[in-house]
Amino acid sequence: MALFLAYDPSSNPLNTNEWAFPVCEVLHILGFAVAIGTITMVDLRLLGIGMKKESAADLVRDTSTWTLAGLALVLITGPLIFSSDPNMYLRNASFRFKLTALALAIIFNYTIHRWVALKKGPGGVAVLTGLISLALWVSVIFGGIFIAFV
Amino acid sequence: MPPEIVQWLQNMSLATAIRESAIVFPVILSLHLTGMGLFGGMILMTDLRLLGIAMTKRPVSDVVKGLRPWKHLGLTLTAGCGILLLWSKAAIYYPNPYLRIKLTLFALIIIHSLVFRSVYRNVTDLDRSPVIPGRAKMAAALSLVLWLSVLTAGRWIGYWEPKGGPAAASQVVLQLDADVTH
Repeated sequence: MALFLAYDPSSNPLNTNEWAFPVCEVLHILGFAVAIGTITMVDLRLLGIGMKKESAADLVRDTSTWTLAGLALVLITGPLIFSSDPNMYLRNASFRFKLTALALAIIFNYTIHRWVALKKGPGGVAVLTGLISLALWVSVIFGGIFIAFV
Repeated sequence: MPPEIVQWLQNMSLATAIRESAIVFPVILSLHLTGMGLFGGMILMTDLRLLGIAMTKRPVSDVVKGLRPWKHLGLTLTAGCGILLLWSKAAIYYPNPYLRIKLTLFALIIIHSLVFRSVYRNVTDLDRSPVIPGRAKMAAALSLVLWLSVLTAGRWIGYWEPKGGPAAASQVVLQLDADVTH
């Protein structure tokens, strides 16, 4: 915390270069579209409403590399965007909500979501898992957008 | 489009309500981005499958047809919210060059969909083909370039300011207001 308070972001390239910040944002959106899009494919299968020709287990195996690539892009560009004004972000209620939702979403994705998709569990558990996953990721998106509006 | 019409659109009560609400505007914007998560992910996996890069163990038609309804749902959500956002600030966005670039890109996307209609319509043919034809790969690569350009132009809309900064922009709007009143 103290480290962030002492940090002066005015010389950060994201604040001095006209292109750097929007480029980071574009890559951030691309990254979350890849990650959330591929996770949603599995969610739709768990809910039994999409990609029914594939099993949830196959979908997880087919998409996991892309999900990870998307998350990597988000987790590189996110902290860069954060570095442009750390004190504002730390004080921002929506940012804190977003980070909490993001941590829960990532943990959920690589634990329960993965287990349920790989081991064909009972239908009710699969549906619940798909719903929780969708709710978590949509919360992350809303939290991110509201940073600029709270 | 004449500026008077753009201003008249922005002045309509629903547009004004969206623009001035502290909650409705960001909610629509969030849904716009949620739609992108759905649409972007689906179009990406569709095109990467056609390029032979992702989901290669699955038949092309299973992937393309399986993703299609969700791709359409995502596009509808993104476009529907996008139109509301544009409508609510029609006069403010009107002179923005990145908006014009984005609209031009949409025209190119419509042309793309007409030119490559046969690729996406007859995906079952691709299942029987030992290699994915160059035409299908071309369609997929162009699709990725076009949509990534739309995303970039869209983000840049928010960073453009008319010459003279925001004050000049509000002058333009005020001038438009005056034109409409008289």
